[in-house]
Amino acid sequence: MSEERGMGIIVETIARATIPLIGIFGAYVVSHGHLTPGGGFQGGATIAGAGILFLIAFGLGEMKQHYNKNLYSILEGLGGLAFLGMAMLGIGVAFFYNTLWHNGPIFNGRPGTLLSAGYLPVMNIAVGLKVFAGLVSAMVAIASYRRWGK
Amino acid sequence: MMAPEFFYAVVVIVISAFLALFRVLLGPSVPDRVVGVDTVNTLIVAAMVLLGAAYDRTIYIDIAIVYALLSYVGTLAIARYLQGGLK
Repeated sequence: MSEERGMGIIVETIARATIPLIGIFGAYVVSHGHLTPGGGFQGGATIAGAGILFLIAFGLGEMKQHYNKNLYSILEGLGGLAFLGMAMLGIGVAFFYNTLWHNGPIFNGRPGTLLSAGYLPVMNIAVGLKVFAGLVSAMVAIASYRRWGK
Repeated sequence: MMAPEFFYAVVVIVISAFLALFRVLLGPSVPDRVVGVDTVNTLIVAAMVLLGAAYDRTIYIDIAIVYALLSYVGTLAIARYLQGGLK
């Protein structure tokens, strides 16, 4: 088996079916982080599991065609900046003051519904984006590192 | 509601997971241990679903789904390593 190629037709077909499933379920875990178990890190790691499945099933050559280092570094920075921006929204009262929940226009629905809990869903999405981009970048960097061989 | 029959089923599954753990501990070759770990993963998913039913919490099923998806990726990574891919 060549090192740049995939694992065979069965694994690739199953990966084509499974990667959207893992991605959608990870997005569900991220977006329902304030209602169900999980949240930003757990959902982000689940979506990164989809990326790792792509890397394993299709090989490094296919992954390098779909992976953009600058885009993933921008996404990771954007996740951190969105988290910090949500923390700075209520800086008139205090740092990390949940002003979206107390008097914000959105995300202040009845507790238990999806659009509640103030800045928590936005922070979960930011952390999920950061974890996904960071883990996929780390896995691609480790996979393309050559110490032995050519 | 704590339903006792779900706990009995969990006890049966945990006993069979320990039986599969013997294959992991004293399997003579590496693929034997990988198959043992895969069996333990599947049994643990079943135990998680049964415990979610026993404690009457539907949100516990989410963890079982995530564990089933990610154990597949883990087994696939070991298989890829054993066949010598991604050098």
